[in-house]
Amino acid sequence: MDSLAAVDWTAYQDEALAAIGSALSEAELDDARVKYLGRKSALAQALRGVRDRESGMLLNGVRSKLEEAVAAREAELARLAYELAAEAGVDVTIPGTPVTRGHLHLLTQIRREIEDIFLGMGYEVWDGNEVATVWENFDALTSDPGHPSRSQFDTFYIDQNTVLRTHTSPDQIRAMQTRKPPIYMVSPGRCYRRDTPDATHSPIFLQVECLAVDRGITLADLQGTVLKFFRALFGEEREVRMRTSFFPFTEPSVEFDVTCFICGGEGCATCKHSGWIEMGGAGWVDPDVFRNVGIDPDEYQGFAFGFGIERIAMLRHGLPDLRAFWENDLRVLGQF
Amino acid sequence: MKVPVSWLREYVDFDLPIEELARRLVFTSCEVDRVVRRGAPGGDNYEYFVVGKVLEADKHPNADKLQLTKIDVGSGEPRSIVCGAWNFGAGATVAVVLPGGVMPGGEFTIEKRKLRGEVSEGMILSERELELGQDHGGIMVLSDDLTPGTPLADVLPLGDDILEIETLYNRPDLTSIYGIAREVAALLETDLRAMPGKEPVRAGDEPVTITVEDLERCPRYIGRLFRDVQLGESPAWLKARLMGAGMRPISNVVDITNYVMLALGSPLHAFDYDKLAGNRIVVRRARPGEKLETLDGTMRELDPEDLVIADAEKPIAIGGVMGGGNTEVSDDTKNVLLEAANFEPLTVLRSGERHRMRTESQTRWEKGVDAEVAGPAATYASQLLVELAGARWTGEREVRGEIPAPPVIAFRPGYTNDVLGLEVPEDEQRDRLGRLGFGVDPDWTVHTPTWRRRDVPRDIDVVEEVARFRLEHVPATLPVRQEMFGRLTHEQRLRRQVEDVLVGAGLYEAYTYSLQATDPDPNAIELPVPLSSQQRVLRTTLAIGLLGAAQHNIDMGNTDIALFEVAHVYLPPGPVPEERWRLGGIVEGDFFKAKGIVEAVFDALHIEPTFERAKLRKEFVVGATVQSGWVGTYGPLELDGLWSAFELDLAELFAEVPERILYRDVITYPPLRLDLAFVLDEGVPAGELMAAARKAAGEELRDVRFLSDYRGDPIPAGKKSVAIAVAFQSPERTLTDEDAGRLRGSIVQALAERFGAELRS
Repeated sequence: MDSLAAVDWTAYQDEALAAIGSALSEAELDDARVKYLGRKSALAQALRGVRDRESGMLLNGVRSKLEEAVAAREAELARLAYELAAEAGVDVTIPGTPVTRGHLHLLTQIRREIEDIFLGMGYEVWDGNEVATVWENFDALTSDPGHPSRSQFDTFYIDQNTVLRTHTSPDQIRAMQTRKPPIYMVSPGRCYRRDTPDATHSPIFLQVECLAVDRGITLADLQGTVLKFFRALFGEEREVRMRTSFFPFTEPSVEFDVTCFICGGEGCATCKHSGWIEMGGAGWVDPDVFRNVGIDPDEYQGFAFGFGIERIAMLRHGLPDLRAFWENDLRVLGQF
Repeated sequence: MKVPVSWLREYVDFDLPIEELARRLVFTSCEVDRVVRRGAPGGDNYEYFVVGKVLEADKHPNADKLQLTKIDVGSGEPRSIVCGAWNFGAGATVAVVLPGGVMPGGEFTIEKRKLRGEVSEGMILSERELELGQDHGGIMVLSDDLTPGTPLADVLPLGDDILEIETLYNRPDLTSIYGIAREVAALLETDLRAMPGKEPVRAGDEPVTITVEDLERCPRYIGRLFRDVQLGESPAWLKARLMGAGMRPISNVVDITNYVMLALGSPLHAFDYDKLAGNRIVVRRARPGEKLETLDGTMRELDPEDLVIADAEKPIAIGGVMGGGNTEVSDDTKNVLLEAANFEPLTVLRSGERHRMRTESQTRWEKGVDAEVAGPAATYASQLLVELAGARWTGEREVRGEIPAPPVIAFRPGYTNDVLGLEVPEDEQRDRLGRLGFGVDPDWTVHTPTWRRRDVPRDIDVVEEVARFRLEHVPATLPVRQEMFGRLTHEQRLRRQVEDVLVGAGLYEAYTYSLQATDPDPNAIELPVPLSSQQRVLRTTLAIGLLGAAQHNIDMGNTDIALFEVAHVYLPPGPVPEERWRLGGIVEGDFFKAKGIVEAVFDALHIEPTFERAKLRKEFVVGATVQSGWVGTYGPLELDGLWSAFELDLAELFAEVPERILYRDVITYPPLRLDLAFVLDEGVPAGELMAAARKAAGEELRDVRFLSDYRGDPIPAGKKSVAIAVAFQSPERTLTDEDAGRLRGSIVQALAERFGAELRS
């Protein structure tokens, strides 16, 4: 009882907490711990002599407070040690350990983006073959036998009935031959034309075809779909417009423009100071195309478009020369 | 086509600015590339251009090549003007620009200045300076009855706006100024004037002999004979129009044929009548071996598929394409046979292709010219030949075959609304069709005009005629759908996954050409007419394209080159090849670098790869097959450094992808791990050893991993030591040491039996 009475435990606790809190190293902390909590400390000795419940609760309370303080100070000292070390010489601006990372080709990134936009609108993605019959590439699409695009100077023929597809539109024919309406599909892929390579032409290029076949499809539906598509690609503020055009397989045929996303329509070099950028051809599916694939044009109607993927990529990312896509220079690929 | 706006205004009136007209035509009718100003800038600038009378003209006192003149320009003192031309003298009437006037092109302003010590207050103009012709031999001498001071713009076409349009394939009627005027009238809802041309008085009744042997290819031929033609230059207005439309003036007769072609869209030709053998025209196929030197000076070997215009003996023109030098109108021409005909598009297209020619007339015939416009064209050209070349029209003959009647269509105006998703009032539809030349009966039977016969045969084509004037008003809606479901196919998702794995592994995706110079497969499909020898064959492997891409990167000084491509290959036999998706890759590094990437792909797809040593194509020094493809290391000839490549057939690969991944309990009971080393013959592949171990231990072998392959002391020659790490685990209970011993025993026994392998202690 003597020892209990002899010690002012509140003062003991305060003194111990102060010593623990001011310890500046693990050694100092250990000294304080030994002094106030160790086997030979007043507290340990008093605890050994405890007989009654009340003093036991008091002393155990002091002990657990001090133990918590030691643990807390220990963690604090560890953090302090890091900070000290950092001040001593970690240059956080030095680059981190390199991680090897590759890159998807920009054209794949754009292709996936287009696919995803249309997947979100409930379209399927069609994989079409690049070699097509003349029937699929021209005849079924009601292309005129005298149309210059059919000539050997424009089209790669394998034999007189077989070509490298000149557009993704034969996939319309293939899709309609193998699917029952309603059909909603996009088909991205390689196309081929006898163009001498320059900054804006390549004998091999990518197009994306879109075809919607359902009851009551209108030109307004085409415009709405293209509007959603271009807003997703080029920004929510974009507007689109249709101009008259001619394609054998759509009637009416239109050309789509989008408001310039470089200047916002004010006029700049990209849009040739018109505020509009030409994006590609589209139209309402010609009823004769439906007849060629056995779909009743009185029951079903449709729209279609075919846009160039390189053109989208070049315009959006400011690439001046199409040939860069096929050169595969890591310094170019790595930018995207 | 280049459309001089003053010419357009001859057929239709309009008030709106030309730029605004251009903007609206773009929606409804044709592409407009640009509007350009030709000749002198207009407006106030015209005040500086006046008629002048030469009062005096003498040699410049200080320059032998210059004249010093005094010109009466109608107001104030006569002006002194220094001039370099000598084709005039005192008394001549000339075109003058005064100081302050801006010359054609807009860059150069005339100023009062001293020339060799004499003041010059303006300039006396030549045709060429005013962009009115090509003649720059001297200045323009004007008609003497003009009063000095008369505004030059009242006398000469000083300038014009030119609309440069691109005609769509289906609109041959828009290859003429009159056709465009019709379109403008329909667009602006204004009146179109009558077609130009008034039949001149016939001065004689001479027979003209014309035979058409191929009425299918030439369904109409009008020949008109003109006597006493006075060949010369065309008047300034006509030359200015031609030049504005992009054609070169040649002589009044030729210019008239070109002028009428541009005005009405039906190409014409003028033959020197006296050079026609037998004074006759025969339209027929070329005979084998026949030749013709065309007007461009090229000798053409004719093909029996070519339609030619001939006289009694020889071809004199390739029908619809170009005339021949042998009957060309020249300075001595007295009598002219004018051809106003109609040629079918395909025959002209094929002849043009065959002879690699491209002419103004050809581009019109190819689109299909209205056979009915040959008549008005003959009339208009006759009028001009009489008026401008003093000719007498003395004879005519027309041959006409079957020309299909223009379509009559049962139309429903509601159809337009169904297509557009926009209500277009019936009155508007009727009015628009009327302005475009369509007849519309009260019951909506629509009669297509002859000039739209080919393009508007059906009701949907009539819809377009109305719709194209309302495109700006079409709303934006989305299809109303009964059901909606869109997702990638299994294969498409896996393809993306493979691409992502490779990007994660540090590879860059490449796009290389599917047409290449050569292919390892001798049966690979070749293009009969390739664009170049570099793009000749449809590839059966991605490897060559990737080698090229790697080489390009080496050339560019890039490092850490690792590329992949996902694309089609085209497997013979043709003509329609089997197209398959392939994954190809190329990396700088040894076999195991490429193999590691392939293993990552297999791992991502949950397929266990099995590699077997194999002899690949000769350019590979190390090679292996794996399910669906191969991995190999190139020899030193292909690229600098050590390069490895791989290619997998994606359909074959994806066929092995498990439908779903089933959970295995690897948590509840702990695994037992053991390292085992075996001594065995060098020739046994480690892969086979591991497969055998897996098979021997059965399901309780959770994992087997390769540790090392060691040869040398103390292992005897011809042998090697292969170390593997195995982990045994059961989902049902904790395995005991006894279990481990049993499993180990079965592995050791199996490997001993199969390979004679001995466990190293």
